[in-house]
Amino acid sequence: MRTLPAGQYLPGHSLLHRLDARAKILCALILMTAVIGASSLWGYTLVLVALLIPILISRLPLRPTVAAVRGMGGFLLVILLMNALFFKGETVLASWGIIQLSHEGIKQGFRIVSNVVLILIIGNLLTMTTLPTQVATALESLIKPLKLIGVPTEEVAMIISVAIQFIPTLMEATELIKMAQIARGARFESKKLSERAVSFLPLVVPVFISAFRRAEELSLAMEARGYRNAKNRTRRQKEPLALHDYAALTFSVLICLIQFLLQR
Amino acid sequence: MLVEGKNICYSYAFGGFSFALRDVDLNIARGEFVAILGCNGSGKSTLVKHLNALLQLQQGELKVAQIDVRNEKEVWLLRRRCGMVFQNPDHQFVAPVVEEDIAFGLENYEVPRNEISGRVRSALARVEMSGYEKRAPNTLSGGQKQRVALAGVLALDPEIIIFDEATAMLDPDGRQEVIKIMEKLHRAGKTIIAITHYVEEAVAADKIILMHQGRVLACGSPQTVLTNLDLMKEAELIPPFPVRLYYDLQQAGIYLNRCPLTEEELVEEICQFKSKI
Repeated sequence: MRTLPAGQYLPGHSLLHRLDARAKILCALILMTAVIGASSLWGYTLVLVALLIPILISRLPLRPTVAAVRGMGGFLLVILLMNALFFKGETVLASWGIIQLSHEGIKQGFRIVSNVVLILIIGNLLTMTTLPTQVATALESLIKPLKLIGVPTEEVAMIISVAIQFIPTLMEATELIKMAQIARGARFESKKLSERAVSFLPLVVPVFISAFRRAEELSLAMEARGYRNAKNRTRRQKEPLALHDYAALTFSVLICLIQFLLQR
Repeated sequence: MLVEGKNICYSYAFGGFSFALRDVDLNIARGEFVAILGCNGSGKSTLVKHLNALLQLQQGELKVAQIDVRNEKEVWLLRRRCGMVFQNPDHQFVAPVVEEDIAFGLENYEVPRNEISGRVRSALARVEMSGYEKRAPNTLSGGQKQRVALAGVLALDPEIIIFDEATAMLDPDGRQEVIKIMEKLHRAGKTIIAITHYVEEAVAADKIILMHQGRVLACGSPQTVLTNLDLMKEAELIPPFPVRLYYDLQQAGIYLNRCPLTEEELVEEICQFKSKI
């Protein structure tokens, strides 16, 4: 089965898999706040230790969980160097023209890299234990409060759920068009980034055309099945959060609180 | 009459000169199995999209289940009584899970939540897809996808079910699956309107409406339409194999009793002919 490309869902029955997706998304957001709020080594240790718990109970293989981080190694190195060399710090260790290596710069570099790594791990934990469809339904109920400021949340929820449904068929269509063009001599495998970008251009137009055609057919099919608007429909019943969902939320909030207490 | 249409004209370029439908009359009785047969561009798909008001009637009159398709207030009710399965199985799913997709139509008509799961399950059972509730539509075969799409229509229990070339993109097995269910629904009393360019699929119908270039060329039983070589030639269609063989045999001086439409009838006719010699 084709799923979302990033942070592929791995089926399982762990407590983390069984958590309500709404609770999981909220926990992820709270823990990400805790990451951004960290300022000292202690703060990062706290989050890291806190993350070990969900990693252990998720029983996910460690390698794919950190694979995304490894793939970004080069990018992270660039962030580290940029910060270390261009941050205007007080304790200068060495300087060449505008380039200045400072104690604070190195610290800042490590901070940002740690932030990115930890947030990636949290995101991965979420998507690896939650089906895209569960994420979609959870988002539907999480955006509900936006109704107060006039956002048509029913419509947005409908769009989210249709969009999620479209991803696999759109990927198949892209693959098909790509193959049709390879069969006629197109080359997508060039090493040069500029050449590769140019070779993808003829792919973009037909993929868009096919996407629009699909959208048009789908809207006809929706109308034929009696769709008028997102409001006049049977309401989905939301299951209440279970005890373990509240436990996970409490845990995340606690970590976040300790983080901000450590700050002072 | 369940469907009554008179002088229907339609042009995609509004007010244009090229008409997709010209003066089409349409009469379909309750419980009838009607095949609308025609080559590509004959207007058959355009015609049926009028039945559930997906296309707005430009000229002429059309009443479906006593509802005037021009009446915008009742169009929504009309669509509940007149369901439609589309050609491309991948382009009609709204939800990423089978049971949610089937529930889509029910939710649109505000069917109470506690009734929905029962109706989803019985609809799946009617298309012989029980047990597939939790599957993702994109993991199913073409025939299975179309049966799920049909279950989504059946869940609303419509009187008329339109198959808009619903078998055109399927492999032979998938086509057989869908045709089998089509015939089962017909026996259960539903009015079936099947659009196709496969002459073999039209053989089982009660009535064939033969279309070409936006006009109705002929309307009658499969026996009268499919065995008429001139008519079939005008419609740019090739008659079913038993019909072709019947006429080939005639040219060779062998006269069968009547023109067969199916292979079984062909075998029977040949046996009868042989026993006469």
